Amino acid sequence: MEKHKKILEYAISSLLRRTYRNLAVIVVFSFMVAVLSSVLFLTHSFKVEALNVLSDAPELIVQRISGGRHDLIPADYMKKIKEIFGVGEVIPRFWGYYYDRMTDSNYTLMGIDKNMRGLELLDGRMPTDSGECAIGKGVSDVRSAGIGGKMYLINSRGRVIAFKVVGVFTSGSNILTNDLVLLTKDSVKTFFGMPSGMATDIIVEVNNDYEEPFVISKIKELLPDTRPIMKREIIRTYDTVFSWRSGMILIMFFGALTAFCILAWDKATGLSDGERQEIGILKAIGWETSDILELKFWEGIVISLTSFLSGLILAYVHVFFFGASVFSPVLKGWSVLFPQFRLMPYISLYQVFIILFFTVVPYVASTIIPSWRAAITEPDSVMRG
Amino acid sequence: MDSVIKTYDIAKVFNPGMPDQIKAVTDISIEIERGGITVLKGPSGSGKTSLLSLIGCMSRPTSGRIIVNGKDVAKLPERFLTGIRRSTFGFVFQHFNLISGISVIENIMLPLYPSDIKLSSIRKRVESIMENLGISGKKDFSVQRLSGGEQQRVAIARSLINEPEVILADEPTAHLDSKLSEDLKDIFVTLQKEGKTIIIATHDPIIHEGGFAGRVIEMRDGMVKEVTVE
Ligand SMILES: Nc1ncnc2c1ncn2[C@@H]1O[C@H](COP(=O)(O)OP(=O)(O)OP(=O)(O)O)[C@@H](O)[C@H]1O
Ligand SMILES: [Mg+2]
Repeated sequence: MEKHKKILEYAISSLLRRTYRNLAVIVVFSFMVAVLSSVLFLTHSFKVEALNVLSDAPELIVQRISGGRHDLIPADYMKKIKEIFGVGEVIPRFWGYYYDRMTDSNYTLMGIDKNMRGLELLDGRMPTDSGECAIGKGVSDVRSAGIGGKMYLINSRGRVIAFKVVGVFTSGSNILTNDLVLLTKDSVKTFFGMPSGMATDIIVEVNNDYEEPFVISKIKELLPDTRPIMKREIIRTYDTVFSWRSGMILIMFFGALTAFCILAWDKATGLSDGERQEIGILKAIGWETSDILELKFWEGIVISLTSFLSGLILAYVHVFFFGASVFSPVLKGWSVLFPQFRLMPYISLYQVFIILFFTVVPYVASTIIPSWRAAITEPDSVMRG
Repeated sequence: MDSVIKTYDIAKVFNPGMPDQIKAVTDISIEIERGGITVLKGPSGSGKTSLLSLIGCMSRPTSGRIIVNGKDVAKLPERFLTGIRRSTFGFVFQHFNLISGISVIENIMLPLYPSDIKLSSIRKRVESIMENLGISGKKDFSVQRLSGGEQQRVAIARSLINEPEVILADEPTAHLDSKLSEDLKDIFVTLQKEGKTIIIATHDPIIHEGGFAGRVIEMRDGMVKEVTVE
């Protein structure tokens, strides 16, 4: 015990002797860990968020497609769907996107309905009157509008409409509520100037999951201009988008990895004469090969764990406090989709372990192996300086 | 004679079979008396350092036998030699081989780091050795800032820390003036009185002349030319 403590102490003092060199290693190493962890934190949190959102989302949504694009759906489609065997409730939804020039951000305006899930009010209540609204935390922040305040929105006829804010949603609950402006059904309809008898899309509840494929094919048969969207399909789409995004950033990561490999390679291919000499001296004065390997092991561990932890912290701060701002050029899509959004920190231990394994282990190995080769040879050469 | 080390026809060939093959040591059979001072003398390139390195288990002979305290070490693998070096020998190298960047006291303690002795008791031991060698004032200096003579004493202190039976010193006066060389001789005499065996390789007359050494082994071209016993 005493022995290992002394060797560890000597390892640290050895590292401090080559301050600049080791500092350079730590900087490069931490940077690499930070990039890798940022990517993983970011995609993982997006994924968790998305799945949270989707777990509250309806199982099946029916949209109408016209000219290849999503269009308003006639309310009488509902009757036909309702008659299909296995279908439970059929609910129309009224919503639309709203671009706010003042704050350069996008909101989702949605009409309230009783079946909405996953909405947690931070404060206040749901809108009941056509002049009222409840807003997401993100909207509340950019417009600096709280309860009792007013939201001014320009409707489809170019008129400014004032809505009284009666509720604010918690920021944490999910991505969707962040940019949400919840109105009554009727005010959404008049705001967007939707013709009566039309809805944005339709939620279809299917009594049994296994009946879903049947219901879908039946809907397509009866109403050829519709597109039924299953929740499961959305999850798949999200997945591919996420992988594509992280793929982009992984390219950056590999840049950093290359730098790191050059560094490690440089270490692995040769000890400097000074290091070789020092190993010889230690052996000559009675250190065992195993003692020298332990010394090098500690050196490697100290450097790589320091880098690993600082890289991890850097990534955490970057992703969860600064919204991955370094990646924002690559993530342009997200910032439009989720303006002013602060991610919730979800970290998968498995991923942290993976990062640990792929950074610390190779580094420690690259420190030990060349020293091991020097340590098993006779220290005769130190006799001659 | 009670001998710590005996060699039987040891030879050391560098780069065997190559065009630049060198026979540094050729068939040397000598004995080192326990508790005595032995000097290896000879011109540069005569094989003093090579012989010292073989005796001190720093390298293994190409042929022959070396007996250290009754045990044949010539064929032992390197990992066993480390243990023998640690328990039997203290080295003072020609170029001191101190580790720069760490303090004097750390340099001296270094051989005992891989042991279970508490740092505080190592420190005590080091302090008394430094006191005896007259360098206790330099404890926290970094070694680059010491004079040649002081570095020499630090190197000697380091060779003593594991309480070795045998001290091997290679050209210990190379960096010292004649006054310091005389002081060094006194140090060696004191160590001998404490019961240490001392082997010095040198071509400095101050060491090998005037009856300081009990036994002088003169080398030439890797062979023993003459052994003088006082
Ligand atoms: N590692 C080595 N590889 C090849 N030749 C070597 C090696 N070490 C020593 N020699 C050669 O062996 C011979 C003896 O060298 P050694 O260092 O033992 O002499 P020395 O008597 O100590 O000389 P000096 O007084 O200059 O220190 C020399 O010719 C030297 O060049
Ligand atoms: Mg020599």
